[in-house]
Amino acid sequence: MQILAQLIVSGIAVGMIYGVIAFGYQLTFATSKTLNFGQGEALMLGSLVGLTAVAYVGYWAMLPIVLVFGLMQGAVVERLGVRRAIETRSEAGWIMATIALGIIFKNLAENIWGRDALKFPSPLPEAPIGFMGVNVLPMEIAIVVGALGLMLSIELFNRRSIYGKAVVATANDRDAAGLMGIDTSLAISFSYALSSMTAAFAGVLVAPVTLTGASMGGALGLKAFAVAIIGGLSSGMGVVVGGLILGVTETLTGYYISTGYKDVPGLVLLLLVLSFKPSGLFGKAAIKKV
Amino acid sequence: MVGVQIRMVLVMKKYLAVLAASTMFVSVAQAQSIKIGLSGPFTGGSASMGVSMRDGVKLAVAEINKAGGVLGRQIQLVERDDEARNELGVQIAQELINKEQVVANLGYINTGVALASQRFYQEAEIPVINNVATGTLIAKQFLPPDNKANYIFRTSANDAIQSAMIVDEAITRRGFKAPAILADSTNYGQLGRADLVKALEAKGVKPVAEEKFNIGDTDMTAQLLRAKNANADVILTYGIGPELAQIANGMAKLGWKLPLIGSWTLSMATFIDNAGANGDGAEMPQTFVQIPTTPKRKAFIEAYQAAYKVDRFPSPVSAAQGYDSVYLLAAAITQAKSTDGRKIREALENLQTKVDGVVTVYDHPFSATDHEAITANIPVFGIVKGGRVEIAHPEDIAGDKALRVKAH
Repeated sequence: MQILAQLIVSGIAVGMIYGVIAFGYQLTFATSKTLNFGQGEALMLGSLVGLTAVAYVGYWAMLPIVLVFGLMQGAVVERLGVRRAIETRSEAGWIMATIALGIIFKNLAENIWGRDALKFPSPLPEAPIGFMGVNVLPMEIAIVVGALGLMLSIELFNRRSIYGKAVVATANDRDAAGLMGIDTSLAISFSYALSSMTAAFAGVLVAPVTLTGASMGGALGLKAFAVAIIGGLSSGMGVVVGGLILGVTETLTGYYISTGYKDVPGLVLLLLVLSFKPSGLFGKAAIKKV
Repeated sequence: MVGVQIRMVLVMKKYLAVLAASTMFVSVAQAQSIKIGLSGPFTGGSASMGVSMRDGVKLAVAEINKAGGVLGRQIQLVERDDEARNELGVQIAQELINKEQVVANLGYINTGVALASQRFYQEAEIPVINNVATGTLIAKQFLPPDNKANYIFRTSANDAIQSAMIVDEAITRRGFKAPAILADSTNYGQLGRADLVKALEAKGVKPVAEEKFNIGDTDMTAQLLRAKNANADVILTYGIGPELAQIANGMAKLGWKLPLIGSWTLSMATFIDNAGANGDGAEMPQTFVQIPTTPKRKAFIEAYQAAYKVDRFPSPVSAAQGYDSVYLLAAAITQAKSTDGRKIREALENLQTKVDGVVTVYDHPFSATDHEAITANIPVFGIVKGGRVEIAHPEDIAGDKALRVKAH
């Protein structure tokens, strides 16, 4: 029982990492039906910029720097990789463009920060907290709280503020939103900026646990993509639940079946979801009018 | 048919012209310097090992060139970054052999790259000294009598030696009874795991758990809980720095700390730095620890620190083995009085001069049938302490045991 609880707790911590990255995919998909395949690299850049900033300004002052950096990085990705593709209604141009930008960012990071894994300072004590025989790192709790907090505030912003409403309107119907006087291309830029900001914040949040480094984005970005498919790209709640499902399945399979097959059930689940509910567990089935 | 013949003659003529031109070029180049290839990963996850190896090699070459070079000629290194990628290693080997026309090649950190690339040198009869890669097969890939002669040599401790040492340390010396093996899913980890299982079997011990993890895994809870549930009393590892650090950190999280004993990669800076205090006490076989236990080692450490302005070497083992590989090659070229690959190989297999290296004094390090310079008695156990690698058992290097030479 204690072991099961420990596995679930660890799975939740890992799953939340996937979830918060997947949330970034969901943000841009909602407005523009495009994704930033360099989302993992946005996470990596955020955490490396954070690592450099921590050395100069300390942990807490680093956070706003990383958030602003993420916003700008996302806007750059949208401007260089996505906008032309949307304007020309290219079906796949943005896929290659965002992947290419991701590779460029990775090479850039390798040249600046090297290619070794680096330790990220933890703002919280690194000793585990025991609770009824289950151990958890304070930083893991911070990941769960921080990720949920960030996602809630973005949801609130989208629902309450006038700017957020513009984003939601664009997501619901881009043409109608345009007719109402909303600058939809700005709304899309903004959603990319928000998406990279989430990723950058996730980067500094998870780095004390996962280590940081130029190659950290690849594996995490891919897992998060699977999570976004499982949970449904159109639902913010879905990606969180999807992340938790994948994280917990991984640790449970690793323990009860074999650590050699740890990644298999998550992928099987992905295939099942794609076969039976292609829009994801929580996704709204979209009717595409042609 | 006739047309084909004419075409063939034309092709042959062109080939001969190129050949003549290239030999002319070589004769000019040779008068100036001796070209030696240097390949390894200078970027990527293995870069700390590759760069240390490269720096050790360059240090030795600079010393030799300053003292007048070899056969009165300067050594010129042709460096190439293989990024730990097999296919890139193959391209580089072909380039160094055909275009740069190196007389020998030093390097290789990754067993996969070594196995894929070195066959081109073997075919061209150009010697290769592997100075870091540890896969057991490397120096045995082209053994006679299946091949006319083996051109592949090594100055690192292979995995068969390391796994036997790890098991000896864990079971015999420290008396553990229930080892759990944690190895990564790469060739390196899985071949090492097989070597460990074999070495344990020789002692009549069966591992209580054998767990796998992937490169990039950040959570080791499942692996560690399985080892814990099997009542393991020691963890044996085969992996590289970042994931090894996650194992140490994962144990700290579960509040369950077992001794870590594993392959030499536990001395990687990425393990030591990322595991911090959790990594203290980890033990691994080392051919060289950054401690001046002999005058030669002292001189080497000081020269390296001065040349590269570092205090702690990123990978001391790689630097020392790289440095020594140059002196072995230089001694062989001097003895062969030639840069012909066949003659260099023969000289390496029957080296008359003793080479006073950092790792050991090389007295007939190789023979026609044995291309491993390091035997099981040479490495000692290092232990991580306060962010550095120290000697695990100081009595191992006490007095004249500081210098360990190959058992013949």
